Amino acid sequence: MSTQGGGAAGNVGMYVGRDMLAAVPEDRRDDYLRLVQEISDLKYQLGVEVARQLPRLFQEQDDEAIEHYLDQVRAIAGVGWKSGVEVARQLPDLYHAPDPGIAEAYVEIVTEATVGPPDDDKTQAFAAELEDLERELREIEPKQQRATELKSLLAARDRRDERRRKHAQELAAALPPILARLRPKHRDCYMLEVRLVAAADPEAALEAANTMLDLLNGERVSHDGAAEWVRRGLDVLEKNKEVGRGYFRMGSKYSLEVLEELREGLALRQVARVLKLYATALSGRDVAVRGIDEMDSVDRFGPDHIILPADMRFFEDDDRNFVAYKVAAAHGAARIEFGTYRFTLDEIPDTVDDLTTKYGPGAA
Amino acid sequence: MAVETQKMEDFRLEEEPYYLPVGDEVELFTAAYEAHLPVMLKGPTGCGKTRFVEHMSWRLGRTLVTVGCHEDLTASDLVGKYTLRGDETVWQDGPLTTAVKAGGIAYLDEIVEARKDTTVVIHPLTDDRRILPLEKKGEVVQAPLDFQLVISYNPGYQSVLKDLKHSTKQRFVALEFDYPAADLEEEIVKQESGVDGDVAERLVKVAEKVRNLRTHGLEEGVSTRLLVYAGQLIHGGVEPSAACEATICRPITDDLEMQRSILELVNTQF
Repeated sequence: MSTQGGGAAGNVGMYVGRDMLAAVPEDRRDDYLRLVQEISDLKYQLGVEVARQLPRLFQEQDDEAIEHYLDQVRAIAGVGWKSGVEVARQLPDLYHAPDPGIAEAYVEIVTEATVGPPDDDKTQAFAAELEDLERELREIEPKQQRATELKSLLAARDRRDERRRKHAQELAAALPPILARLRPKHRDCYMLEVRLVAAADPEAALEAANTMLDLLNGERVSHDGAAEWVRRGLDVLEKNKEVGRGYFRMGSKYSLEVLEELREGLALRQVARVLKLYATALSGRDVAVRGIDEMDSVDRFGPDHIILPADMRFFEDDDRNFVAYKVAAAHGAARIEFGTYRFTLDEIPDTVDDLTTKYGPGAA
Repeated sequence: MAVETQKMEDFRLEEEPYYLPVGDEVELFTAAYEAHLPVMLKGPTGCGKTRFVEHMSWRLGRTLVTVGCHEDLTASDLVGKYTLRGDETVWQDGPLTTAVKAGGIAYLDEIVEARKDTTVVIHPLTDDRRILPLEKKGEVVQAPLDFQLVISYNPGYQSVLKDLKHSTKQRFVALEFDYPAADLEEEIVKQESGVDGDVAERLVKVAEKVRNLRTHGLEEGVSTRLLVYAGQLIHGGVEPSAACEATICRPITDDLEMQRSILELVNTQF
């Protein structure tokens, strides 16, 4: 039999030494291990001590004494396991004292010393009251947790409201100058769509106000297209505020994709270089082609560029829209070639002279 | 030598090549010929340099040997070399030697394309020595007085790798060519292609506009030669738009957007 314990011995092998097991008669070793296991289940340290003491009791082959020993150990361990360990160590020696009653007296002394005097009424009342309080506290713990959650939620709402008011104030300051740049024909559409976004999130409305200005003034999207672009942005905003704000800032891929999907007609960027070359060839000057959305950053009547709509959607098919672009580019090229906007009133006398010289007295 | 004489007769132009002078180039060339001076014709592709030399060859009654120079053209290709003919090695004059001996006009077209050793060969022909050394043969050919060396040179092709040295340039009387003025170009297109004046005028207008793109992605503008091609196709029944696409848009650029721009210019005219 292994001293390292078997299936029946559980983990007692950890504190049952080979020499201890060897000291137990072979036919009683299973009983030894079982009893040690039982005591160990009460307290590990008790099991260690009982494992040390039991072999000599087994050698005496007095099962009644063994049972009595274990009962006394269990009893004392019930009131204090540390006292129990000491009693388990001392008891076998006391069994062999001349006075057989001394072991019983020893156990009683240690037991009473460990247990102490019984509680008085006041102490018992304290204990009862404490028990009641603890029960009540346990009962209200979920309510306290809920209260904490609610406080947190309300604080977050307050912070959101604060931010909302701050952004609403910013929107109030930003809108008038934006509206001043908005073309009148887009006013109704613009106000309606920006209002929808503002109701959902003023911060997103700030972004939308600027983006919508560029989209509508730049003719990059129709009014219906603008409404659809906003509607889809509001869907995004409802799911995630930050992503939604990025959408209205035109800072998300999805936003650009939606805009591309909603675009109608022929985009200038698709034909800008062809038109540039066309206008350059016509005018004999290096002509740049700019989108109408760039109009604010360049001189509209500059001598080196033509402003064209970002999209041309006069016609259903792009070939005819391209022809429309061509007409506009040719017009712009002619303006540049012949210096339409270079003319000033001061030049009138010289111009009359030139025309008279060139075409005769009646021409001017 | 009978064979060579026959060959040289092949280089004589029997009919007057059509050429419409755009300035005093005919007089200048004639004076240079009479003074035995070599001439350099400068100008863009297809502006009429070769036609001008042909015309002058006919006008002066001289044979014309034209050599289209290329990057593999060596001095031996111009001067001549020994070749195997049957069991013997015989000397074969190159086109330049042939022209020198016959006293004709040797026209080296786009000389800048040829290998550098060719300039060593032409230098002695361009100063008062007027000689052509045949080093491999150990012979020196003295150019007769009626021989004239003419080279053409397209400044638009010059680069750090390809350009004529000043020591070469300064041996020639230079005649500058460009695309003719609109009325002259219309006349040329009409004459050469057979189209009427209206079509010729439209073609020239297209060319004028396209030439505005020379500094915007086009290396060269539309040559008069291409306008003549376009006119010939139109005269042959091809739709003007298709004719111009084939002769103007596609040959001068591979840039699709540039091609489209040019086609739009064509569509504006036709």
